[in-house]
Amino acid sequence: MKKHGILLALLLVIGGALPSLAQDMMDYPADMSECEVDLSGETINIFHFGDLSGPYAFITQPIVSALTDAVAYWNGRGGVCGAELAQVYEDTGGSREAAQSAYDRFTSAYGDELDLLLLYSSDDGELLREQLAEDEIVSFISAGSIASLYGEDGQTPGWLFASNPLYINQFGFFCQFVAASPELFPDPVIGFVTWPNAFGRSGTEPAAREYCGGLGVEVLAEPQFFLPTDTDILTQVQNAIDGGANIIYTNSLASGPALIASALVDLGLEEEITLAGVNWVMDTTVGLLGQRVLKSNGLPAVDGMLGSMPFRWWTEQDNPAVQFVTQQFAANNRSLPEQNIAYLLTWGAVDSILEATIRTVNRTGSLEAVTGAEIKSTMQSMDYAVLGGLMQHRYEDGMRDATMNRIAVLKYANTTMTGPATGPDDALLIDDGAGGKLFLPLVVPLSDFMEVPQLRGQ
Amino acid sequence: MSEFIYRNKQQLTWALYAVATVLLVLFIGDQLAGKKAARIAQTLISGLLVGGVYGLVALGIVVINKASGVFNFAHGWMMVVGGMIFWSFFTVSEISLAGAGLLSAATMLMIMTTVSYRDLLKQRNLAITAGGALALTALMTVGGIELRWLHALAGTFAGAILTGLAVERFTIRPLIGQPLFTAVLMTLAVAEVLHGVTQIAWGTVELNLPVFVNPQTNSRFKPIRLEAFREALDGIAIIRVELVIAFVLALLAFIGFILFFRYTSVGLAMRATSEDQQLAQSVGLRVRVILAITWAVAAFLASIAGVLQGGAVGLSLNISFVALRVFPAVLLGGLESITGALAGGIIIGIVEQFGTLLNSSEQVGTNLAPYAVLMLVLVIRPDGLFGQKRIERI
Repeated sequence: MKKHGILLALLLVIGGALPSLAQDMMDYPADMSECEVDLSGETINIFHFGDLSGPYAFITQPIVSALTDAVAYWNGRGGVCGAELAQVYEDTGGSREAAQSAYDRFTSAYGDELDLLLLYSSDDGELLREQLAEDEIVSFISAGSIASLYGEDGQTPGWLFASNPLYINQFGFFCQFVAASPELFPDPVIGFVTWPNAFGRSGTEPAAREYCGGLGVEVLAEPQFFLPTDTDILTQVQNAIDGGANIIYTNSLASGPALIASALVDLGLEEEITLAGVNWVMDTTVGLLGQRVLKSNGLPAVDGMLGSMPFRWWTEQDNPAVQFVTQQFAANNRSLPEQNIAYLLTWGAVDSILEATIRTVNRTGSLEAVTGAEIKSTMQSMDYAVLGGLMQHRYEDGMRDATMNRIAVLKYANTTMTGPATGPDDALLIDDGAGGKLFLPLVVPLSDFMEVPQLRGQ
Repeated sequence: MSEFIYRNKQQLTWALYAVATVLLVLFIGDQLAGKKAARIAQTLISGLLVGGVYGLVALGIVVINKASGVFNFAHGWMMVVGGMIFWSFFTVSEISLAGAGLLSAATMLMIMTTVSYRDLLKQRNLAITAGGALALTALMTVGGIELRWLHALAGTFAGAILTGLAVERFTIRPLIGQPLFTAVLMTLAVAEVLHGVTQIAWGTVELNLPVFVNPQTNSRFKPIRLEAFREALDGIAIIRVELVIAFVLALLAFIGFILFFRYTSVGLAMRATSEDQQLAQSVGLRVRVILAITWAVAAFLASIAGVLQGGAVGLSLNISFVALRVFPAVLLGGLESITGALAGGIIIGIVEQFGTLLNSSEQVGTNLAPYAVLMLVLVIRPDGLFGQKRIERI
């Protein structure tokens, strides 16, 4: 309990939520559509399944936490348009077979009621793309692959809608950032050191290489792969550096980026090589796990890592969406490792699902009349500020992923909580409850939201 | 011509293998020739040290196999459980007295009822159970956070013994005398149960296990940089201290187990039991007790490996997959060989690293090279490098 208390205190400091907790709980920040139909006595189920116990479990567990909190939040306020909110989910353990079985069970058990499905992984998205279209079920996903969102040709929008830009587009956006910063990257060469699955390989496609090459940013043709179970990846990192890389890009999460950063510190190259990655490298788990190794300046190894940040982050406390989620997080006594991307985005996904449902019910006149096709039609015309500003969903003109992104840097807070620390002397260190000290991760945006390049189908 | 081939089939097969091996060695030699000496040295060091951890994991699997003939597919999850128990004691400032007491009592009860539950009816045994539980509880809770290593080691020891004994008592023991394959399948079921238990008890969020840290700086020990060899190697090679610690621990465990199996009566009884459980029972060996000890020891070894791996990269459910990577090492060394476990672990570690050095983009190091080496060795020595050659009389 004491440990949880300390973690909660940490969260409050990070989120700057102490003042807001002292006040009343704030109103729901989103400008949702008015309910024109009374749904009292009905139930809106949020269906989702994915890997809750396999290789990705450590980032997906907060999805269930956020959904549990969101369902409790809405039901505690009389439901959505009077309807009770509930979640129906299954753990597939990261297995394709289990994902297919879950899908079959959901479709046979819930039939017409299943119009909208939340998925976690690109692999599941690719597996179910055709079936979702056939069964006319809309699916939400955080960041699907090209094949899942747009088909093999990259040009055929399907029934899946992603809240983040495609990973390949995020990489293209990073190349834009590098090309626009010659003072930081005078002769940029990017080498991939990444996980070997579909997620990890995103951005290693020739199209991305050509696009970046056109901007004057060389990308090494041979990516270096490592596994989440690897204890030593010096060989992969040195391979990339021997190949000429002065920027290492990774599509990995949790201990993945921390392992690369540790290898760079071990090799004494932390000042010469820049580490960067997809939006998941900015996650809280990375900031916490990256503290095992300190750089020569005394700050954690992942300090200074660059990454995509296509949504608002926990530290942007002037944003009402972030304030609201932070309040809910604290009110539900969630632990620090859960204060991650998944928890934040799941609140956003619930908001989007409810907004799409309300708009569709308003149009069709009843919950029973809502179909997957109707929801898809709603989604395609949506231009919506999720949770009042967490991110923007715009799926017009055949778009199935987000189009806006920005680059951020992972830093650690200073003692006055006014910005990033420059060294251990001015870094905010908090007792971790076990005799040690924790640096507080801080994400600092380096650019405004801008359009990502569209690299699919090239 | 066909008759010549038929008559000299074996020699020709060997000749083909020899040619293939020579070509492979030439190919690899050519590839390595373009690499700096520092890279080759670093790859060798990394492979050796990572291989030590593999060897420790392999040892746990081999110990079970050596004593019972069962290939334990649950070993990876025993690593996770052990690591998580260690984390629970290591990262909290105040240990729950009730929790520690419960764990100690359960462990002692399982130990004292290894032969029969009726043993508890004896007053002496009850006293030992109570005394042992009190002592264990004291070790887990005495003092403050400055004694966290003691708390964590005592807690992990108790947790591992409890896990091992529970697995043996409730899943393996009922299968004594049944086909071995049934017990092997049972370990798959045990793996899933441990998976579920871990998830319920500790969740799935990756946890930081700060065991390899300098207490002054609270950060990982700085690696040893081989500056003296910089010129000779045309670059720098480094040695990670936490991997050295893991390697040394693995070596100590190996030496201990070699001595244990060779010179102690329990070790010899374990070996006899693995040969034939029914025969061992008929000559008066207490198969139940021997199997129980084996599983407890294997669970403890798994816990050590879990702590080492968790300390090096973070504690998550992914640690269980390390055991899968170790399977080639176990088969390569020989299923029943302690020495083979260490040798197999080190060989696979080095092969993985060199495979990665030469071609990481196609995952040669992890997906191809270990299995190619395993195939080659098994063709030449079907029982592994150090496995016992068995002659079946029909």
